[in-house]
Amino acid sequence: MNLLPTAEQRDIVDSLRSFLGARAPVSRLRPPAPQTGNSDHRLFRDLGDLGIWGCGLPEAAGGVGLSAAEESLIYRELGRHLLSPAVFALTLGAQLLSQFDETPLSSFIDGSARVGIANARGPVALAARSNGDVHLFDCAEAEWVLICDESAIALFRRDDFVAMQPVRSMDNLVTLHRARLVDARPSFWTPAGERQLHERALLLLGAFAVGIAEATRDMAVEYAKTREQFGRPIGSFQAIKHICADMAIRCEAAACQTAFASLVLAEGHDGVAFHATSSKLVAAAAAVKNASQNIQVHGAIGFTAEADPHLFLKRAHVIEQLWSDSRRCRERLLSLDLPE
Amino acid sequence: MNLHFSAEDIAFRAEARDWLHAHVPRERRPHAGPAARAYDLAWQTLQHEAGWAGISWPLEYGGLGLSLTRQLIWHEEYARANAPDHHLCFVALNHAGPTIMANGTEAQKQYHLPRILKGEVIWCQGFSEPNAGSDLASLRTRARVDGDHLIVSGSKIWTSHGHLSDWQELLVRTDASAPKHKGISWLICDMKSPGLTLRPIEIMTSPNQTHFVQCFYDDVRIPLSNVVGDVNDGWNVAMSTLAFERGTAQIRDQIRYAYLVEDMIAKAVERLGNACPLSRDEIGARLADLRADMAAARAMTYMVVSRADAGMRGSEASLMRAMVGETQQRARRLALDILGPYALENPEDDDWVYFYLRSFSITIAAGTAQIQRNIIGERVLGLPR
Repeated sequence: MNLLPTAEQRDIVDSLRSFLGARAPVSRLRPPAPQTGNSDHRLFRDLGDLGIWGCGLPEAAGGVGLSAAEESLIYRELGRHLLSPAVFALTLGAQLLSQFDETPLSSFIDGSARVGIANARGPVALAARSNGDVHLFDCAEAEWVLICDESAIALFRRDDFVAMQPVRSMDNLVTLHRARLVDARPSFWTPAGERQLHERALLLLGAFAVGIAEATRDMAVEYAKTREQFGRPIGSFQAIKHICADMAIRCEAAACQTAFASLVLAEGHDGVAFHATSSKLVAAAAAVKNASQNIQVHGAIGFTAEADPHLFLKRAHVIEQLWSDSRRCRERLLSLDLPE
Repeated sequence: MNLHFSAEDIAFRAEARDWLHAHVPRERRPHAGPAARAYDLAWQTLQHEAGWAGISWPLEYGGLGLSLTRQLIWHEEYARANAPDHHLCFVALNHAGPTIMANGTEAQKQYHLPRILKGEVIWCQGFSEPNAGSDLASLRTRARVDGDHLIVSGSKIWTSHGHLSDWQELLVRTDASAPKHKGISWLICDMKSPGLTLRPIEIMTSPNQTHFVQCFYDDVRIPLSNVVGDVNDGWNVAMSTLAFERGTAQIRDQIRYAYLVEDMIAKAVERLGNACPLSRDEIGARLADLRADMAAARAMTYMVVSRADAGMRGSEASLMRAMVGETQQRARRLALDILGPYALENPEDDDWVYFYLRSFSITIAAGTAQIQRNIIGERVLGLPR
């Protein structure tokens, strides 16, 4: 038993971190950032070259042959850099497509597919003929749209959605549409249970949320070390120091549970649903709370659109809603047996 | 990263499980008093006779010298078997014993260590004082040299089980002129020493529940041969073994609490009846959060052990301690809410209310939650003092 990343896993994280540091600094999102469509799409081919999207797929399927453990480390970095939520469509779409012949799988693995994601905003039934009201995220220029819930994972063409209506998004970095599925036929779909793709989705969402929680912890700590009031760095005051300590505690809880859950999934132990659901619940709460407290530590500048803290808060709320909100996660968790 | 255990470790787990299930005492542990002392010592003796005592103690001192992974396995099985905690034996096994191993003389080791392992003696701690709590190094109990003895005068407080103990690990000031961390010595104090008197302190859990005592030292004579480490080096001696227990035993509490949450779910279903499904009730939402947080607490403990195993020394374990303590408190509070009006009854044979009241100590003892946060802020995050 060892929850620390191996040297190989640290290399993966380091190379991804240096790529994102150079190509996707959070400063790319400051005004006047492009506010239409998925501006991160231009990075997806290069990330594909790094093996990000096919990381957890077997080599025979064109993937890298690693596991959910590496994927969760990768998604933590994507979260730290606030990549478009379209990323979930590439990784999970590749997993879905690998079960079928004659698919656009290679374009998902190499990152060239134009993708977005959908999330239920009311009852949704995913099946050979699907129905329900959804939100679409970063789908303005998408060809493919992935949606996932406890019953199924499905890939639609964007044109399968009707009554598309743009709405102003709380997270103004992503485009948001209301849309509807009416007897729509997914291009590819499968019940979620068989390959544990919904659990994998919860795990990746949780890992992304860990990245948000860690990035906001780091921002708050850095600010508390340098910002001076009353002649001292504000981080020397316990009122601020303890907020930062709480942020660190939440990060540790969320990161450890996510690592544990990723290994339960990767190694095929019992309790995948229990641990993946727990990780989404703990990590989403950590992301929202840390992002909130980061604003508080920054004071007035944290309340402005000129600084970055609000970007993390808004994205944390998007993650919290996706593919089982916290309310649904709690309900699900109560219905599962405690694994050993 | 992996969750694998070797074939040898799995065999060890089976062996530990079998022994524990066959030998764990079935009678309920008394909460306090001489009966609690007798219970804890008997359980320690039983483990010793079967060769299971001192799992984290080195072989040369009669322990089993188990690897951190094996310790973790032992503690997991210990909790699953619902074995009683160390309780009164805790200070001896996890603090006094390791301190003597690391700093004691040959004579001190020869005399004390076997008695601890065999379950013959209870140790208590004499660290805190009425005016030295979180700021422990400001302690003022004095000791002056008189021939081959030290003469101790002053007072210690919050000494758990002092009235049931044989020995005390005692921190005293032996050089009043030195800086506050420099003039302290670590002594072995016989609790039957003339001049030592104890005042019982009742705790908030239930009537006549003496957990602590205050100790008064009125020229108590302690042989110089009972100083552990060097005179005036007691602060380093005390700190040297705070890290001895490197988190593996925490897993016991976490498994126990995970089971407690399961009991709470069953009780909540019973109390709410069919009228309101648990998943639609506020209690249900809080139980679900607890289930998730308990899982995270366990994962954090695995991380603490992983770091220790890799030789990483840092203050990160305080992240786990802070999270675990507050989650346990939340669980106890929720148990009370599940009981509803019955929470106002505190019968002797029901633990939920007792342990709710008891849970207030979790964020105070061994470093308050606020001191933990100072440590996290300064040593983990690098914030200025």
